[in-house]
Amino acid sequence: MAANPGNKIRNAKLVLLGDVGTGKSSLVLRFVKGQFVEFQESTIGAAFFSQTLAVNDETVKFEIWDTAGQERYHSLAPMYYRGAAAAIVVYDITNAASFTRAKKWVQELQAQGNPNTIMALAGNKADMVEARQVPAEEAKTYAQENGLFFMETSAKTAINVNDVFHEIAKRLLQGQQAQDTPAGMVLNQRPAERMVSSSSCCS
Amino acid sequence: MGSNTPPSRAALEPFATLDPAALAGLPASSPLTVRSAAISSPYLYLGTGGGKLLLFTLDSPSPDFLRLLPIGPTRPVSAILPLPAVARLLLLADGLLLLADPLLSRPVRRLGSVRNVAAVAARASESDDDRPSCSLAVSVGKKLLLVDLTLHDADELEVRTRDIALVDGVKALAWVGDSVFVGTASGYSLFSTTNAQGGDIFTLPESSRPPRVKPLSGGDEVMLLVDNVGVVVDRSGHPVGSSFVFNTTPDCIAEVYPYVVVAGDSKVDVYRRKNGAHLQAIPFARPGTGGLIVASEDAGIGSDVVVIATAYKVFCYRKVSAVEQIKALLRRKSYAEAISLLQEFEADGEISNDMISFVHAQLGFLLFFDLRFEDAVNHFLLSETMQPAEIFPFIMRDPNRWSDLVPRKRYWGLHAPPKPLEEVIDDGLVTLQQALFLKKAGVDTVVDDDFLSNPPSRADLLEVAIRNIIRYLCASREKDLSSSEMEGVDTLLMYLYRALNLVDDMEKLASSQNSCVVEELESLLDDSGHLRTLAFLYGSKGMCSKSLGIWRILARNYSTGLWKDHAILPETDSLETSVGKMSGEEIAAVEASKILQASSDQDLVLEHLGWVADIDQELATAILTSEMREKQLSPEKVVAAIDPEKVGIHQRYLQWLIEEQECDEPHYHTSYALSLSRSAMDAVRLGSNNEERNNKEFDSDMQFIYLLRERLQFFLQSSDLYDPEEVLYVISESELWLEKAILYRKMGQENIVLQILALKLEDSEAAEQYCAEIGRDDAYIQLLDLYLDPKNGKGPMFTAAVRLLHNHGESLDPIQVLERLSADMPLQLASDTILRMLRARVHHHRQGQVVHNLSRATNLDARLTRLEERSRHVQLTDESICDSCRARLGTKLFVMYPDDSVVCYRCYRNQGDSASPHGRNFRKGGIFKQSWLVSR
Repeated sequence: MAANPGNKIRNAKLVLLGDVGTGKSSLVLRFVKGQFVEFQESTIGAAFFSQTLAVNDETVKFEIWDTAGQERYHSLAPMYYRGAAAAIVVYDITNAASFTRAKKWVQELQAQGNPNTIMALAGNKADMVEARQVPAEEAKTYAQENGLFFMETSAKTAINVNDVFHEIAKRLLQGQQAQDTPAGMVLNQRPAERMVSSSSCCS
Repeated sequence: MGSNTPPSRAALEPFATLDPAALAGLPASSPLTVRSAAISSPYLYLGTGGGKLLLFTLDSPSPDFLRLLPIGPTRPVSAILPLPAVARLLLLADGLLLLADPLLSRPVRRLGSVRNVAAVAARASESDDDRPSCSLAVSVGKKLLLVDLTLHDADELEVRTRDIALVDGVKALAWVGDSVFVGTASGYSLFSTTNAQGGDIFTLPESSRPPRVKPLSGGDEVMLLVDNVGVVVDRSGHPVGSSFVFNTTPDCIAEVYPYVVVAGDSKVDVYRRKNGAHLQAIPFARPGTGGLIVASEDAGIGSDVVVIATAYKVFCYRKVSAVEQIKALLRRKSYAEAISLLQEFEADGEISNDMISFVHAQLGFLLFFDLRFEDAVNHFLLSETMQPAEIFPFIMRDPNRWSDLVPRKRYWGLHAPPKPLEEVIDDGLVTLQQALFLKKAGVDTVVDDDFLSNPPSRADLLEVAIRNIIRYLCASREKDLSSSEMEGVDTLLMYLYRALNLVDDMEKLASSQNSCVVEELESLLDDSGHLRTLAFLYGSKGMCSKSLGIWRILARNYSTGLWKDHAILPETDSLETSVGKMSGEEIAAVEASKILQASSDQDLVLEHLGWVADIDQELATAILTSEMREKQLSPEKVVAAIDPEKVGIHQRYLQWLIEEQECDEPHYHTSYALSLSRSAMDAVRLGSNNEERNNKEFDSDMQFIYLLRERLQFFLQSSDLYDPEEVLYVISESELWLEKAILYRKMGQENIVLQILALKLEDSEAAEQYCAEIGRDDAYIQLLDLYLDPKNGKGPMFTAAVRLLHNHGESLDPIQVLERLSADMPLQLASDTILRMLRARVHHHRQGQVVHNLSRATNLDARLTRLEERSRHVQLTDESICDSCRARLGTKLFVMYPDDSVVCYRCYRNQGDSASPHGRNFRKGGIFKQSWLVSR
């Protein structure tokens, strides 16, 4: 997807967090390169990818950090989610323990991360419905209660993969517009003050 | 992310091995163990466990031992930091910081009073101060100190120390930019040297190896180790790129850009900095004590030397350049790896475009000599600097026209000089046979396995080779080449097409714009019977006479059945026009006409016109009437050359000459008219003699005759330059009456024209139209006479006469009409018309009377008005003045205007009688006075 030359490109740091083997790297590979590798090696440390996404008339360039899921590398995660514009917490719908771990990541993000970080909850391996262990409703409820948006994805079949990143980009741009609104509110205060002043003059 | 491919390259190559003890001249009884190493070009420093410092130079072909400096027998040297900015060497020995001069010519001196130093790091980037200086970060106990060293005159060193932080358990330090990176057992932190603020980067997991910190990329980045994972961060502590994954847990790290060199247990691994790919593994025997040490120059990116030290030996390695690495692979015939490596270097920008082209060309030649012609040409095509002439020797044996053109490039001397293709294949097949023999004997070779399992035949190889060289030469034609090289490309391309008998390609190349050298090809093409190609080639080179000669021969051979051109098929695209299936004879004529249409050589055109006309008269006509030639042919010679029997060509040529070339020579106009006339007469005669044929043919013939006569009539009408008498003589005995009428009209024979139109053709409308054209009224009388007295035994044409009287009666004089009506005229036919004519005359007379009398009345009224105007009275008094000059009139002569203004006679003379002093102009707007006949 090519960006329009004249348009502004906004850089966004995005981090993927989640238990080992939930498919974080597969999600990123599907999004960035359109590939799926059946037997993906575990990520060690973190892998970096870059991908540009066009949303309406604007362009978002994601700087994607695909982190290691092993507990041993948990302490490296703050370096990657610190200052991130968005985070995708990934769990495996066929593995209830990974959902438990995902909740802990959400708690850590909310406790230590940037309050403005856009958070997404991704239930990966949605194509393996026979082996499902995490009901979609349960995850959806948890997401709503904690301010995340939720999608079930499948890196294998590409279901909802682009939609997750697209939704994040949209919310990033909306957040940018929301920051402009308060200035307008400040402007609205002045006419009221003037009216008060006029009233004072009259009285 | 690490690469799974086992490392198979030599990114670093050894160039020296040092035995420090032997070189220093120490006896075997006092062992020397290396504990630390550092490089500061051109010097190599080694620190020993026994408290000695050794200096070597790396300048000469092999390192030379220079000097040994004892520090203290109980002080093992654990770190050496060159400080070139202040001309010092910093040593960390047994917790003390010592300073030495770069040449080790003076005893070491202690730096400050600090002891128990755990770690030390020098600022990586250069200082901006005016004075030469550098800064150190030192960890002492729980303190993190900054030590600033400034060099003054007379080699005096100023030392200033300040605290910036409290950190416990520091094990590793690095200083890049304004940040000091601190590694402790619990994790990594970053401290700013400007404001002393600190921040955590990440914590280490439990039971981790000790932290290691290494500046990278010339001081722009820092690698922080976690187990066997290297996390790279920038100066602000933010992560950069994917993590490195090392095969072993690193003990020591060095950078020789673009590689990271890692020493682990008993081996050294080389990784590519940009993508963490594992390139090379260098095994070392496990040392008795201590681990491996790797050292390189930290100052910049430009260094290319790395030193690997064991306890008792030092190995010096040099970075192998990108070109050398590729060359080594090519030398082993590892083509796939070389290509992969080339793409890698190309992506990283480590190799210039010219070198990339060079490598592609070299690869191409190597593959060519290995008989892999398709791959070879693919690489030739990727090389932008390779010249097409370099492959000429494969095609044509030296010496030839282009021998001097072939650049004598030796490349890397990995392949034999190019030689004729057959020899390359024969040699390759010999090598293949030897490889087969060796393989059966159990010996591996570098020959392609596909070839070994399925050996190709010589003929197949030759064809594949030629086809691929053709592909290369075709691509070369798109380049900007010198004219002589382009000649070589095109000529040899034709040569190769001929070798494979690719007739369509030969003809396409020969007939398009090309740089073939005819002298090199004509005898070959003639011998092999490629006459069509030769004809096309002659044509594209402007050798029209030779080309036409061949087409003529081909046409003759086709017509006699001697020549059967199997390449001529309905599907072939070598012909621009394919209307159904043309015979070879016709094709030859078509090709010849293309040349003749563009040729201004009159003799050549007329020489070949005959045989082309024999085959196709349309082509002959196209040749004669071509607009493509710069100088048109002489009509006189053309007409003389045209076979009189080929009337169509003659007519079409004359038509073109007259209508398009606007020739105004009466002779040709007359010739054209005569030719058309004869054709029309023949057609009419032929048509009338075959009235018994079926209706379809009859209609077709009628249509043909009609069109032919229409063309004749059109020309006779529109041209004024032919001789009508001559044409008239030719058609005098024919039934071409309309044509005769046109001719008599050109000759001004009005009466004869009227006779033909009115009596022969009985076309009253045309006859009346002709009378109108004549423009005189007596023409109608003349026509009336013809109608009433046709002569030649024909009866009076009363109907036509009445119609004439009806249409143009008012133009005729009734007396003349009545005089011409004979006593035999049945008056009941014309009575109405004659009556109307006579009444019109009476009407005209009476109308004239009315107009006459009305004019007399108007004249009378005007005279009366004038009289009244002249009878007006004006009263003058003594006070009356001129309306113009305001002078008193008195007894002067005066004038009164119609608007009652009065002026003296002198003013009247001055301003005339058209304008009054009141500004009225009587000439433009008159004054209307009321009268009894004319009112306003």
